[in-house]
Amino acid sequence: MMTKLHVMRAGGLLMLVLLVTETFAAEGRIPRLSNGHPDFSGIWQTTSAADYDLEPHSARPGTPPGAGVVEGDSIPYLPSAQTQRKKNFEKRAQDDPRLKCWTLGTPRGIYYPEPFQIFQRPRDLTLVFQFGHSVRTIHTNGTLHPTKTDNEYWLGDSRGSWQGDTLVVDVTDFTDETWLDRAGNFHSTALHVVERWTLIDANTIEYKATLDDPQVYSKPWTLGVFLHRHREKDFQLIEDYCYTLGFDQFYPPRPDEKP
Amino acid sequence: MKYALLAMIAVLPISTVAQQAGQGGETIQISKTVPVILSGKWTGPRLPDGQPDVEGHWSNTIANHNNWTDPQGGAPGDAHPPQGPRSERAPSRVSDPADGQVPYQPWARAKQQEFAANFSNPVKPQYVEPLARCAPAGVPKSFTWHGYEIRQYPGYVLFLFNSGTRIIHLDGKRHLPESIKLWNADSRGHWEGNTLVVDVTNNNAKALFGRTGDFASDNVHIVERYIFDNDRKHYNYVAQITDPTVYTRPWTATIPARRWDEADTINGWHYEASVANLPGKALLHEHEERVCIENNGPFGQVAIPEAH
Repeated sequence: MMTKLHVMRAGGLLMLVLLVTETFAAEGRIPRLSNGHPDFSGIWQTTSAADYDLEPHSARPGTPPGAGVVEGDSIPYLPSAQTQRKKNFEKRAQDDPRLKCWTLGTPRGIYYPEPFQIFQRPRDLTLVFQFGHSVRTIHTNGTLHPTKTDNEYWLGDSRGSWQGDTLVVDVTDFTDETWLDRAGNFHSTALHVVERWTLIDANTIEYKATLDDPQVYSKPWTLGVFLHRHREKDFQLIEDYCYTLGFDQFYPPRPDEKP
Repeated sequence: MKYALLAMIAVLPISTVAQQAGQGGETIQISKTVPVILSGKWTGPRLPDGQPDVEGHWSNTIANHNNWTDPQGGAPGDAHPPQGPRSERAPSRVSDPADGQVPYQPWARAKQQEFAANFSNPVKPQYVEPLARCAPAGVPKSFTWHGYEIRQYPGYVLFLFNSGTRIIHLDGKRHLPESIKLWNADSRGHWEGNTLVVDVTNNNAKALFGRTGDFASDNVHIVERYIFDNDRKHYNYVAQITDPTVYTRPWTATIPARRWDEADTINGWHYEASVANLPGKALLHEHEERVCIENNGPFGQVAIPEAH
């Protein structure tokens, strides 16, 4: 009997070991498209305080503290850009484009604290943002940036390629109307962003963006956040067109109230 | 100045539409008839997940949102309304009842007529057509407002409209709680042969149906049938619209659409695409970024004092 029990225990232990190994392996595996490239499909959101201020900051009214998401801690502004930066910070409660519900831009849309959904085909990734419900396409079909160079897109022009399992996205053709965060960090139309998207497990994306803008920064700099997959049952985006809130009350017609 | 070009692109179609309404709007109004497309088998190509492949750019063939029941009849207050008998223009989008009229309750008919009477000189904010404020066009108006793109994924059909986005969920999950009301509503769909059937709830109904002020309430329930022709060039949008708050009976809207692709010339209204930069390869068109509120001052016939 003892022997049999030991065998059963041993078998149970073996099963447990196999199960743990299997689970571990499953966590290490990342979803892939049929063409073998990583599949980023899903609903994602950062838990970082990046949108409040990319740089390290203590708590301020309306702003939770954050250790910062910039490599080297501070954004290397040119001396000539400091005035604008200071002005933006002082007027952030009025001037942040987010307050008008305008398209947040790239990379801000990625680390804004509302979810966005990635839909992916071999030829492209479509990013639908809950906030403002703007839509960004990252082309992965070998197409190049437009030959016309005076485009000023709110989300930029995004062309992606694969370096192993990392999606590298070159983004150009920006407007200068977007901010990088609520603290007023900013850029010009000369902004050039290179994003690196990597699934470090099935439910986590390591997102890095290198920003170069010779009119505003003294050298390229890099920010990084983790994006977490929403796994709540039946989770879905709920559109947030907040610029409509001011006129919501006027529609649709209703029966006149009886006096 | 720095975004003047984008602003013009965004505004131009609207002013163009206003001008064209009086001239018959030939560039938008490319057909006067609704093709017969029957629900049945899908014999065309399928995507790897089994869905009929209907990806690409589409646009309605009849008219913009000037006029819901006389689509080619011009907007209310049009200084140069189209001439000739009604029978020479496209039929009403109301395909049932047979009279082509929305079966309004008396109070609702009065409200629709009030909007139409005030549309061209909107002295109150509720008479401004919501698209003039860059509001999403919602359901069903989006199908009459510019071309749009369909992208498909396992579990989803995605509609990228000129003004608004719809995510059709194919996984059978339950609708959002009733208290949540949305411009683009909440959509659950499934395929029946060549037909995408979509159950639409949670509609805030604020978008209205167009410049004639036709409308539903936020109690509206819409069952859409997108019936795709196996020629892959056409589909009909057929929607049964039920709303006991506003109508006396359920009614049906029908909006025909055609595909636009690389064989077509890019068109600033129906086919807002650009030529992809792909040297040495076949012509490829791609979707352009679509924003509105960011690039537009007020253009609601001077009815909106501020852009925001």
